[in-house]
Amino acid sequence: MTSSHRPLAAVVALGLAASVSGCAVGVASPSSTPSIVPLTVGLGYIPSVQFAPFYLAQQRGLYRDAGLEVTFQNKIDPDLVTLVGQGAIDIGLADGTSVIPAVSRGIPIQYVASIYRTFPSIVFAKASSGIADAGDLAGTTLGIPGRYGSSWIMLQALLESAGLSPDDLEIRVYPDFGQGVAVENDAVVAATGFVNNEPVQLELAGHEVVVLRVDDFVPLPGPGLIAGSRLIEQRPDAIRAFIAATLEAMGQIVDDPQKGLDASIASVPDLAQNREAQSAVLAATIEAWQGDDGAPLGTIVRMDWEESIGYLTRLDLVPTAIAWHQAIDDSLLPGG
Amino acid sequence: MKGSDAVSAVGAFVFAIVAWKVVVVLSGLPPFILPPPESVAGRLAEAVVEGTIAPHLGATVVEIILGFSVGAGLALLIGYALARSALVERLLSPYLVAAQAVPILALAPLLALWFGPGLLGKVVICALIVFFPVAIATMVGFRSVDVGLLELGRSLRATRRQVLTTLEIPAALPNILGGLRVGVTLAVVGAIVGEWAGAERGLGVLVNLARGSLFDIPLMFATLVTIAALGIALYVLVVLAERRLVGVR
Repeated sequence: MTSSHRPLAAVVALGLAASVSGCAVGVASPSSTPSIVPLTVGLGYIPSVQFAPFYLAQQRGLYRDAGLEVTFQNKIDPDLVTLVGQGAIDIGLADGTSVIPAVSRGIPIQYVASIYRTFPSIVFAKASSGIADAGDLAGTTLGIPGRYGSSWIMLQALLESAGLSPDDLEIRVYPDFGQGVAVENDAVVAATGFVNNEPVQLELAGHEVVVLRVDDFVPLPGPGLIAGSRLIEQRPDAIRAFIAATLEAMGQIVDDPQKGLDASIASVPDLAQNREAQSAVLAATIEAWQGDDGAPLGTIVRMDWEESIGYLTRLDLVPTAIAWHQAIDDSLLPGG
Repeated sequence: MKGSDAVSAVGAFVFAIVAWKVVVVLSGLPPFILPPPESVAGRLAEAVVEGTIAPHLGATVVEIILGFSVGAGLALLIGYALARSALVERLLSPYLVAAQAVPILALAPLLALWFGPGLLGKVVICALIVFFPVAIATMVGFRSVDVGLLELGRSLRATRRQVLTTLEIPAALPNILGGLRVGVTLAVVGAIVGEWAGAERGLGVLVNLARGSLFDIPLMFATLVTIAALGIALYVLVVLAERRLVGVR
């Protein structure tokens, strides 16, 4: 590089830093609030029937009627947490079990509404395996994508509920997420999965399935809506409106699942190729949106979060102690 | 390495650290986006002491050694055949170029599916990414051998083996070692890409864990620093071998 290029390089470097910095704080001030508020919303990586409420709310104009112009982006969970924290995405759908370590690490996000009120990560097996509860997993083989994330946390909690540890069974890792196929082919006896995915596929393949849940032992928080602390401070009304519209759409789908299926197919036409499977996935998803306590959709249970923070702390996933109110903000829910 | 080289290397390293710190201070970026160098250094030291890095580093090094050996070994043979046979070149060149044109990132999940999430898949990915630059460098190296020298060898009734070992290999070696320099750094890339496609252990896995499960961004940076250091160390090893075999270029 010649000496004449050095100042230019420095300017480019500083400009880059400034632009990234701008992204991190790029939230419009309340005084400039237009009549329609643009919101970028990050959903999971693969467009799916599981995101039916968002598709329905968009198509039925629920967001527009609430004064929002919503744009969806598909991102993986870890990226969403950081992007929401940095302000590059306004609202994201992320695992509650990701929110706790992220907040503990100083990422400025909060969980503002539950989507899955039942923790969707489960252990499943063929009913013919004879497994009926967590205690039966001792000495068996179990498939898991890896020793990380919500599945790993759930498995440890589930085993602990029966006085077991991961050392009490043979764990086989399927980094390619092939553990569902492994159960079907009897390569492993049980596996971790999502209540609205692998067990549904296994049932569709003609097997009777048993599902083990962790909720009774530790009420781990399922995926929900997260927002950046700065956005919550500056645009609470926009977030409140988004949550209300999304919950309205969820309610409509609970009452009439066909609406959710149609909206999903309208947004993701490929889903029409297997309506039966998509319908079954949606049915399992709707069940997971609702908790056992009869509370309204979206409800965040503070005590559950306290317990979960305590449990994740025991697993060394919370390096800096946090309180529940740092991780959640339930004031933006309808009636909050 | 000469004293002046060492001073330059240390100077460049110090400059990079200072520039990093300046960007952190001027931009005001939060640590979860760009942690300061001292925080990364502290986390790296902690991760080394508590044994977090070692098992992942070991797994990646094994993948690199095997993948580089297989890829470079095959590339030497094919590269020689390409240089010496027009038929082989006509038959293989389109496939070699096509294989090189497809990004390894796109191929990795497919290879993981075919060869499984274990060591074999990573070795294949590493070997594939190493193969092309070494094969091309080998081909160019053997083609650059002075034709006059080859004719002289034949006129002295040298055997094929003698021509190869006393004329061709010494003449092609500088090019081959240039290809190995590129190949060894690409082997690091291949191992990490392979681990991203699915693995239980390796520096690529640790990057993902730190980023996605633990949200430990200093650990993620510390792992990236480890990967960079590994790449530099392997590159220096090839350069040292080159200096020993063909002298300083």
